[in-house]
Amino acid sequence: MSDRTYEILFIADPNLGEPEVDTLAAQVQGFVEKDGGRLQKMEKWGKKRLAYDVRRHREGYYVLLVVEGSGTMVKEVERRIKVTDGIIRYLSVRVDEELRKAERRKAKRALGEEKRRGRPGAPPPARDVEVQQ
Amino acid sequence: MSSQTTNGDGRGIGRPSGRSGGGAGAKGGGGKDAGGKRYFFRRRKVCKFCADKIDYVDYKDIKLISQFVPERGKILPRRMFGTCAEHQRKLTEAVNRARHIALLPYASD
Repeated sequence: MSDRTYEILFIADPNLGEPEVDTLAAQVQGFVEKDGGRLQKMEKWGKKRLAYDVRRHREGYYVLLVVEGSGTMVKEVERRIKVTDGIIRYLSVRVDEELRKAERRKAKRALGEEKRRGRPGAPPPARDVEVQQ
Repeated sequence: MSSQTTNGDGRGIGRPSGRSGGGAGAKGGGGKDAGGKRYFFRRRKVCKFCADKIDYVDYKDIKLISQFVPERGKILPRRMFGTCAEHQRKLTEAVNRARHIALLPYASD
């Protein structure tokens, strides 16, 4: 099965220090790689205020991982995250399909604009680099 | 509710429209309709996502999403913002995700 792309976002305990959060992130990365996933990107958003209390915390460290792998991998990673201390909330979302759809729509729209420009009566289209949105 | 001028238009807002439906309309549509014609003229609402060509509503983009979620945390209905059905659906999904990860509040108080 082809690999899928997932976003795993988790919130770490705010009472931890910066280095501890880093090790936590590395730990999650380890979970991913253990089950044949690949890390695409890791973003640390730093300490942010939570919109509501989560396990009696008002703020937390946000860490986002973009990951490639199978569904069973994510399932396993989720299970491990659940038993990891210091992570107060997580969210994993599959994003590849949605992003692909969005990409296709963008391409379609670009094509439509091209066509409209090429309509009879309209000024000749500037056939040049017109790839960027 | 003193009748002071809120925006540049010197005219006061018609009382009947200020009471029920008009109040909500003025909130969404800018203060242009304050003068003269009361309820005849309504700005046509266009889906913001369509206009801005946003294909993927990202739950991480709180700046975008929070435009559709006022303080209370409830998602604005389509009739207020004119979002098209497709984008409203995507917006809902994004808001729910953002809520789960505490970027947005669940309906508070």
